[in-house]
Amino acid sequence: MDATQSKEITTVTRRDVLTGGGALFVSLYCPSALATQPANGASLDPGSLGSWLEIRSDNTVLVRTGRTETGTGMSGYYPQVVAEELRVRPETVSLLMGDTDKTPDGGYSAGFLYGMTNVRKVAAYTYQALLKLAANRLGVAPSELTVLDGVVSGGGHRISYGSLVEGQHLDLRIPIGGQPANPAEGKWADVTSLDGLTVLGNPPMKPMSEFTVIGNSHPIPGIPDKVTGNTLWTCDVRLPGMLHARVVRPPTFGSTVITVGPLDKNSFPTAALVRKGNLIAVVSPNEWEAVVAAQSVAATTRWTEWSGLPRSENLSKALRERDWGPPLQSKGRSEDVVASLKEAAKTVSASYEQPYVRHAPIGPFNAIASVHVDGTTTVWTHSAHSQGMRARLAGILGVSIENVVVRWLDHAGQFGRTTLGGDGAEADAVILSQLTGRPVRVQWTLQEDLAWSSVSPAWVSNAEAALDASGHITAVRTAFYSPHPYDVRPVGALLAGIHGKAPSPTASIDTVWAYDRIPARFEAAYAMPNLGAQTPTAGLRGNIMRTPGQRQQNFVLESLIDEAAALAGADPIEFRIRHTSQDRLIKVLTATAQAAGWQSRPAPQAGARKQPTQGLRGRGVCAIIRQNAYWAGIAEVEVIPATGTIEVIRFSIGVDCGKVINPRQLKRCMQSGVIMGLSEALKEEVTFDTSKVTSTDWSRYRILTMAEVPEIRIVQLSRNDKGFGGGSEAANAVVPGAVAAAFFDATGVRARRIPLTPAYVTELLRQPGKEPLRGLSEAPQAAPLYCAL
Amino acid sequence: MTPRLRLSVNGIEHDVPVKPETPLIFVLRNELKLSGPRLGCGMAQCGACAVLVDGTEVRACVTPVSFALGKRVITLEGLPALWAAQRKLDPPAAARTLHPVQQAWIDEQVPQCGYCQSGMMIAAVQLLSRNPDPSVAQIKDAFTNTPPSPHLCRCGTYAAIIEAVQRAAKAMQA
Repeated sequence: MDATQSKEITTVTRRDVLTGGGALFVSLYCPSALATQPANGASLDPGSLGSWLEIRSDNTVLVRTGRTETGTGMSGYYPQVVAEELRVRPETVSLLMGDTDKTPDGGYSAGFLYGMTNVRKVAAYTYQALLKLAANRLGVAPSELTVLDGVVSGGGHRISYGSLVEGQHLDLRIPIGGQPANPAEGKWADVTSLDGLTVLGNPPMKPMSEFTVIGNSHPIPGIPDKVTGNTLWTCDVRLPGMLHARVVRPPTFGSTVITVGPLDKNSFPTAALVRKGNLIAVVSPNEWEAVVAAQSVAATTRWTEWSGLPRSENLSKALRERDWGPPLQSKGRSEDVVASLKEAAKTVSASYEQPYVRHAPIGPFNAIASVHVDGTTTVWTHSAHSQGMRARLAGILGVSIENVVVRWLDHAGQFGRTTLGGDGAEADAVILSQLTGRPVRVQWTLQEDLAWSSVSPAWVSNAEAALDASGHITAVRTAFYSPHPYDVRPVGALLAGIHGKAPSPTASIDTVWAYDRIPARFEAAYAMPNLGAQTPTAGLRGNIMRTPGQRQQNFVLESLIDEAAALAGADPIEFRIRHTSQDRLIKVLTATAQAAGWQSRPAPQAGARKQPTQGLRGRGVCAIIRQNAYWAGIAEVEVIPATGTIEVIRFSIGVDCGKVINPRQLKRCMQSGVIMGLSEALKEEVTFDTSKVTSTDWSRYRILTMAEVPEIRIVQLSRNDKGFGGGSEAANAVVPGAVAAAFFDATGVRARRIPLTPAYVTELLRQPGKEPLRGLSEAPQAAPLYCAL
Repeated sequence: MTPRLRLSVNGIEHDVPVKPETPLIFVLRNELKLSGPRLGCGMAQCGACAVLVDGTEVRACVTPVSFALGKRVITLEGLPALWAAQRKLDPPAAARTLHPVQQAWIDEQVPQCGYCQSGMMIAAVQLLSRNPDPSVAQIKDAFTNTPPSPHLCRCGTYAAIIEAVQRAAKAMQA
């Protein structure tokens, strides 16, 4: 964009002169072909009030974004970014998130850096426009004006933003590009767009060195309501005439209905059975009646039998025995690696295994849908990609996307499960509402959620490294094998037979290579369909989950580097630093080591023995680069051989994510990321038999408890010269590698799979000198359930 | 017609038309429109639905409403009044005062998604009523080993909760 266009963009047009109130509306202006397409709902009509930002005459600012709060604090960061550019106080900025009819941009919530760049530019354009308005009003050149807390000063005059817009109705139009989400069955994730719209151009923006709002620990706006009970959660939506629904799910992935059990109208007078294909539900105006009636129907409904999964304890073997064909994606030059391996003084070769894990929200999913006869539909959801969900539901209902409105509300954290605009209870809700002609609220049970939601796929990986005589790595070769990772078709639609087209197998290399001083490298990623893909429910539907793909691949790469360091007799941190020229990585490794009190020495520790009488201490490190953020994690553990338990005593985590927006919230996200990572390192595994998931409650799908939380030390390296980076997500991904390395340091035994459960640790320590070659899974024993009361 | 049951919740008597075996959580949420206690596991394994009944934490998802008849039920929404009564605050002071546990949860910015936090605050109130100055080890033990199950948080706010409980303990002793 040239300067002339920029100038026009910041010139406001006056729409009306009002007698009271007034506002500056920053609307959309589409310079591309998009402008000629029909608007997707009111929010995209450039002449409508649907807009990104409003400056109101009461000196408040309203920002609208289709991206939502997922529990990381984004609802606090957006106001900080806008307040910074507009020179207003952050508490005067309020945020409207996620409703497809009230927000302009679309896009997935985890794409904060993308969404933030949009609203930052919007605010920057608006600031220029406000300066121009003030200059005209005050008769002072814009260059002579200064702004503090929304008050413009210059030439001895002062005027607030509110006074500038009072009594007027002003439009500012800004250029956008990109694409809103539309239904596209068969395409990647079945929607056309993940990022939504993009604000174009380069308005002048405040330099980071002058930031006064960003970098402060602004409180997250939704917290007081969550603490006092005033938040309206998705599960709180109640509509007139609404029915509560409970779904009767099949007993296996492949079962189809033979006969539906009867509904006893004497016992359940206000309940009704609803069915479409294999989607069977009981609805009632009374939630408890729906629960009990659904249990009664489930007990007498007959289904076909199916089996066809390897048991989870045989999964790794099954994946290893599969003929994967050629890799779907590869990076690097294989021949260079082969040559280096041939010439190597030493080589290390290892195979790693990671289980299926799942998002496992504390609140099982729910949704409320109101589908009208004419096809107009409103859905209340907690999807983290409202526009993507809207597109998907339009496809499922067979209606035009303009007919569907998705409203977003808070719900339990879900860690990427709905990023692609799928999975969840929304499809159940729209289908049941369409069938009953009433608003329907679908509430999944925990067992349903842990059995039928999408999962983060299992991995097996092979890795090799070549070392020269000086102990420097000359080449690395890795091969990653994993089932499909992006099938988010909602189970309700699959059961109803509506949404059936399977996505093609996909694999990707998600690593960001930290060690540029290793000269040769080759990576390959192999793909297969979902396990159980042939069933009507598509089996274990793979999905992304916090630090997707890269978490699993990084565990392999960092474990391999750790094995190479031990082979070279080098300190694991010094060894890493030796193999990289990336200054930011070196600095974060060094600062985190200092925080942890790291003493330089090779692993394993001198006293490492496998069968001691008391606990063994060890420490390990892991690094990752993701989304312009450089991370280091250091675990200090005590292994208790008698019980096979690994007690993590301390975890130090450091990050350089460019400019830190909110240090306190970043600390909270780093602490909680460590906790999720420990949960993955020590406990989490989806188990299944030959026909169904068996880890369907919290005694079988184990997650970390408070008693297992170590001391967590936090290192933040904020800087003004590298933009913004992802400061939350990858915190979990440095944990499993660091814990596995610490286990080796303590015991001298390599753990090449997670989770490091007591049973696996006991087995490792029982077989001196020999790594057990076994399946991924050992079904955790169900904990005794205490009887309530 | 379903007969009405008399239930005391947050200091107010309610007559609710529910069957006595109905789990307390559905009565609190659907009849009384309280959103503090939330449905989690539905089998007393997570603590998201926790409420106080006569001062003791129970899991509303598995507790029939009949158990609470004649007893005093307190949910997240009733914590400010509980504190005001304990401290004998006059009505204007009571109206602007949160329970110190709630205030600590805000000051420490504990909630991430927040779904489990109502139950966490109920557990904190119960712990501090029995141990006004708990150590970190005692806090961890209380949130993990008090029957019927650990209080689970999937976002991983445990570290923040520990800091907030310590802050609340100080405020309550002041």
